[in-house]
Amino acid sequence: MQRRKLIGFALPLVVNPAAFAASICRESKYRADVNIVANSFPVIQHLAKVAKSCASDSLKVNVKLTSKVQNEVEIAFSSSGKSPFDAAVVSASVFNDLYSKNQLYSLKGLVNKFKDHHKIEEKMIVRMNGEPMAIAFMQNTQVLYYRRDIFKRLGLSVPKTYDEMFATAAIIKKLDPAIANPIAQCFSKGWDLATEFTNVISSLGGRFFQEGTALPAFNSEQGVQAIELMRQMLPYMSPNALASNADDVMNQLQQGRAAMGVLWASRASRMDDPTASKVVGLIDFAPAPAARVGGGTAAHLWWDGVVMPRNGPNQRDATFAVLMEMLSESSVESGNDLAIWVRSNFKPGRASTGVKLAMEAGAKIWPAEPFFNLAHLQLGKVLADAVKGLRDPAQALAGAAEAYKQSAIEKSFLKRDLA
Amino acid sequence: MKLATFLKFTLPSAVTMAVLLALPLLMTIWLSVVNCSPVLELQKTEQTGPFGSHVVTAQRFKVDANGQALKSCQFVGFDFYKNILGIQSSSAAGPVDQKLPTDGHNEFLNALSFTLLYTAVTTPFILLIGLVLALVTQKISDRFKGLVISMALLPFIITPVVGALAIKWLFRDDGLVFNLLSHVGVQIYWMSEAWSAKLLVIFYGVWHVSPFAFIVLYAGLQGVPQDSIEAARLDGASKLQVLWFVTLPHLAPLTIFITLIHLMDSYRVFEPILVLTQGVFTTSVQFLTYSILLDESNPYKASAASVLTLVGIGFLLAPLLKRTWNEQRNSR
Repeated sequence: MQRRKLIGFALPLVVNPAAFAASICRESKYRADVNIVANSFPVIQHLAKVAKSCASDSLKVNVKLTSKVQNEVEIAFSSSGKSPFDAAVVSASVFNDLYSKNQLYSLKGLVNKFKDHHKIEEKMIVRMNGEPMAIAFMQNTQVLYYRRDIFKRLGLSVPKTYDEMFATAAIIKKLDPAIANPIAQCFSKGWDLATEFTNVISSLGGRFFQEGTALPAFNSEQGVQAIELMRQMLPYMSPNALASNADDVMNQLQQGRAAMGVLWASRASRMDDPTASKVVGLIDFAPAPAARVGGGTAAHLWWDGVVMPRNGPNQRDATFAVLMEMLSESSVESGNDLAIWVRSNFKPGRASTGVKLAMEAGAKIWPAEPFFNLAHLQLGKVLADAVKGLRDPAQALAGAAEAYKQSAIEKSFLKRDLA
Repeated sequence: MKLATFLKFTLPSAVTMAVLLALPLLMTIWLSVVNCSPVLELQKTEQTGPFGSHVVTAQRFKVDANGQALKSCQFVGFDFYKNILGIQSSSAAGPVDQKLPTDGHNEFLNALSFTLLYTAVTTPFILLIGLVLALVTQKISDRFKGLVISMALLPFIITPVVGALAIKWLFRDDGLVFNLLSHVGVQIYWMSEAWSAKLLVIFYGVWHVSPFAFIVLYAGLQGVPQDSIEAARLDGASKLQVLWFVTLPHLAPLTIFITLIHLMDSYRVFEPILVLTQGVFTTSVQFLTYSILLDESNPYKASAASVLTLVGIGFLLAPLLKRTWNEQRNSR
């Protein structure tokens, strides 16, 4: 009987190490029904498990994982009634949007009250003019993944610019018939392609907006150069590249069908997952190439964190306790390899060097202007045709700029006389 | 029938239809002619976080004492419609003379043309495949009918997103179809060219909806009068002639029904574009509305796109509805 009890106690801990961490959020005996919305990728799935470990007879915890978290959050946080979600796990981009809309609850009181209790580190707190508005838990960026074995065998060095990358790809394509498409990169129409464009134009020294205004500046010479550079990449990629998202790119690298490519640093550990990867231990990481000699790495720095809505239900303490459990030291410990955590007890492994590499190579912080997403969206619509060569790059950018101006006017970011 | 009795019978459905159909439609029309935009203030913000601190100067929404964003709403007439159709810009929220993109690219016209192509190509195919399946099933032994019907219905039972994902995995790099075709020397990267991406979406449409046509026509076949068939055969009609002169006329009303339903559905084609091609070389009116609503977060403009979709469906259905109307009148 005692053995059975022991097994009953130990089994959940073996199956789900997060169960170790259940104590902090449960000790206060909160009575609440906490609902959290979040994206759905491995580290967030881990956080969801930790959150659910807080559940007790009096505390219910639901975590909705969805790939459309931005849409869900926008609708819930802007509702004139109470938000159906008490909190959300969001990226820096979504955070900037929500902050500009004044839809976030200030965490000042909660941070002051619980900072020591939950060991919240200063670098985790995202402050806007000194006011804590989010708690960050992971960092992210895009880095170059490359096959160490192929590079060594062919005597290649790691490319530092995109021109070098194309030259390297041409050699691999010629000398290694098994790799028909040496480069795998997120060129999927829409968000992915617009993000690549943002990285490249930034590395080329181009601007997205005219200084101090919401007027577009991406329809520039650097914008055209960015598209032309992306077009040069196509011959070295799968012909399906314009429909390749991060999952497809990860798959191509894991299956050994590509020799290099720029991908999210947070996916690095998946390369060494023996259940999904044929190239365990063979992929190394370097900063994403610069778009020109002397330019910074063509990548941006991101963080992900937790926020609470201004219109959230009145159960802030319980919600905060669950959120802090998700971001606790024990959660970081049990999910160490799933992300590049902000917390100090994170032990960086081979696959966790991305952010450091990108920062050293001059990566900039992802744009925080509230109208940036509108421009990004319009670019996502036109870039596929322009990169493919079906539309003239300058005309496509002019079209995106006009469409952006229109939507910025509709949202009051631009006035007609200024546009 | 007394008026009171008539009302008792019809009022519940009339009220339900008014609440669930007419009111939302009226609201959508109303939303499509107004625009509410936030009241903004310029703010300099210092953001401090995991990467240190940086300063951004940008607009921020003003809120009232309850934390609700202050909005300014105005009637904009048909501006959003004109904007979507590429006729001119909306003066919706502080108009600017919108120039059309310099190469004349128009998102709505692209969406409309592919939607119409999809509708025009899939409709005859699903009718034809549905009919063939129904005729074959009619002929096979009763012992296997249940199995065949279940298997044939499978694509229709599967939710569209799952079905589209399954097709995507079959056709992507190193997918089953890609590999099989490679073995016979045909290497097609389905998302690399406009024709193949469009073909894939059309293939999905035919695969997904043919079972619906099949089951309706199969049910219809059960009601074909056997005496007419026997009489035709006694008169020396061939199998093809029996099919053409007896069976198909009997199935004609069902064919119109299937066409009506499919025209409405295919005009709203969405899932295969979202999942299968992610909008590469393919787009649709419904996909455009979705993008305006969720990506642009503009419910007003999305309402205008919805109304345009409705008008489009109306145009498509008009000839069939007119025919049905005439038939009903003549049968009185």
